[in-house]
Amino acid sequence: MSIISFSHVSKQYPGEVTALTDVTFSIKEGELVFLAGPSGAGKSTLLKLIAGIERPNGGVLLVSGQDMRKVSRAALPFLRRKLGLILQQHRLLNDRSVLQNVMLPLIISGSTLKEAEQRARMALERVGLSGKADLLPQVLSGGQQQRVSIARAIVHKPRIILADEPTANLDRESGAQVLSMLQAFNAAGVTCIISTHDERLLQNADRIVELSQGKLMSIHEAGSEVGV
Amino acid sequence: MNWLREHRMAFSVALARVREMPLSFSFNVMVIALALMLPLAGLTLLENLKPVSRELAVEPEISIFLANELPRERALALNAEIRDSARHAGINVRLDFIEREKALDILKQRAGLSDVATTLGGNPLPDAYVLKINSSEQTAGPAQIEKLAAALQHLQGIETVQLDAAWVKRLAALLELASSVLALLTLTLCSVVLAVVFNTIRLQVLTQHEEIGVSRLLGATNAFVARPFYYTGGLLGLCAGGLALLAVLGALALLNTSVTQLAQLYGSSFRLDPLNPATVLMLMLASGALGVVGAALSVRRALQSAV
Repeated sequence: MSIISFSHVSKQYPGEVTALTDVTFSIKEGELVFLAGPSGAGKSTLLKLIAGIERPNGGVLLVSGQDMRKVSRAALPFLRRKLGLILQQHRLLNDRSVLQNVMLPLIISGSTLKEAEQRARMALERVGLSGKADLLPQVLSGGQQQRVSIARAIVHKPRIILADEPTANLDRESGAQVLSMLQAFNAAGVTCIISTHDERLLQNADRIVELSQGKLMSIHEAGSEVGV
Repeated sequence: MNWLREHRMAFSVALARVREMPLSFSFNVMVIALALMLPLAGLTLLENLKPVSRELAVEPEISIFLANELPRERALALNAEIRDSARHAGINVRLDFIEREKALDILKQRAGLSDVATTLGGNPLPDAYVLKINSSEQTAGPAQIEKLAAALQHLQGIETVQLDAAWVKRLAALLELASSVLALLTLTLCSVVLAVVFNTIRLQVLTQHEEIGVSRLLGATNAFVARPFYYTGGLLGLCAGGLALLAVLGALALLNTSVTQLAQLYGSSFRLDPLNPATVLMLMLASGALGVVGAALSVRRALQSAV
């Protein structure tokens, strides 16, 4: 059953900049999907559309059954709570401790402080950062910051994880750690959509959606290619 | 009880933000307090003057002094004639006869005048009537009342007719005018308060821009983002209202020394009292509410442009 479905979706930014043109494909629940393509291919835009950060100009995009063109501003936050976002720039709050950063999605969802702290510590343990809970993010390395970002993305047990270039700016070892964590979450049943232009990561993919200049070029299933 | 927890959390976030910038918060409180002080002081003054003006008769009053040696029978007979004249003029009146002996007693009771009355020896005061136009009959215009006064002057046995109420009416009108000016001033200064809170919260929103952005990405609703700012605005308003009231109380304490001294010279125990607790509470709430409204306007604008 599709958890995300693109049907002839297009996105144009103000100033006639076309980011996506007529994109059609779907993602089943529990899949690990890589979005591949060079910079400017439309990978980040595609993730932004799923997260409701941008809205499609044309076509139909369904996320968890909700039409992202029609979903109201008031309903959007509740949809986002089903998602786990991992961003290239981490976007951690530097005036808060690592633990407080990871607690944030739970506090937003209405958990008690005690419950949020307990679950945030568990999430930090899963990404191997239990000893760094009380530090400020800025004293951590890039790889560690990305792991904090992953802990924040999984702490509220989302159904879908969206990761935008999660290994960019990381060394080979940190990149491999991040990828194996995402694979572990996927193995636990979480749908993972990862954008990357790192060829090495694509070797681990079950399915690769290849984009170029805003157009869907091909979809590679594990060991085969599906024409578009 | 989820909403209670959310509000408690928002309040603690607001307090934390205040603690992060205590100096800036204090200055803003002072600016708002200064703006609030003027209408509060005006309101206190008006509230003190209103009872004074109420004690003074605002309905037109005519004092009718009879000839000094007029026999009492004639004086009493004038009652019917005065009423006839009033009926003729189309004015419904209340008429009080004040005997000269009673008038002297009243004079003696007035502070500072007992010695004068004793020095005079005999009673120099005449019998008199006080004619009051019923307040329900306020339709009588000044010209009509003046015409009646002139008619009374011609009655035999009446020495002097004096129309008393003009200055009292002027005072009442002045107080009315002061109330209107105060209302306008309050409106203007409330706008100033709104502008200060709006700008303070706008700067806070800018400072917290990254946190707001991240929170929105993680599923924060507008209410979740806005709530701490509402509390900050409310705190600003409450603290400023409290400070302004304290300042007015301090000013009253300073002024009262001179005011009571002056009033004593006129045989009055008048003093400037602070506003009653219910009004103080209402003003504090209004001040807090102004802060919340200013914050709401500011946050609403910021959230409209957020993701």
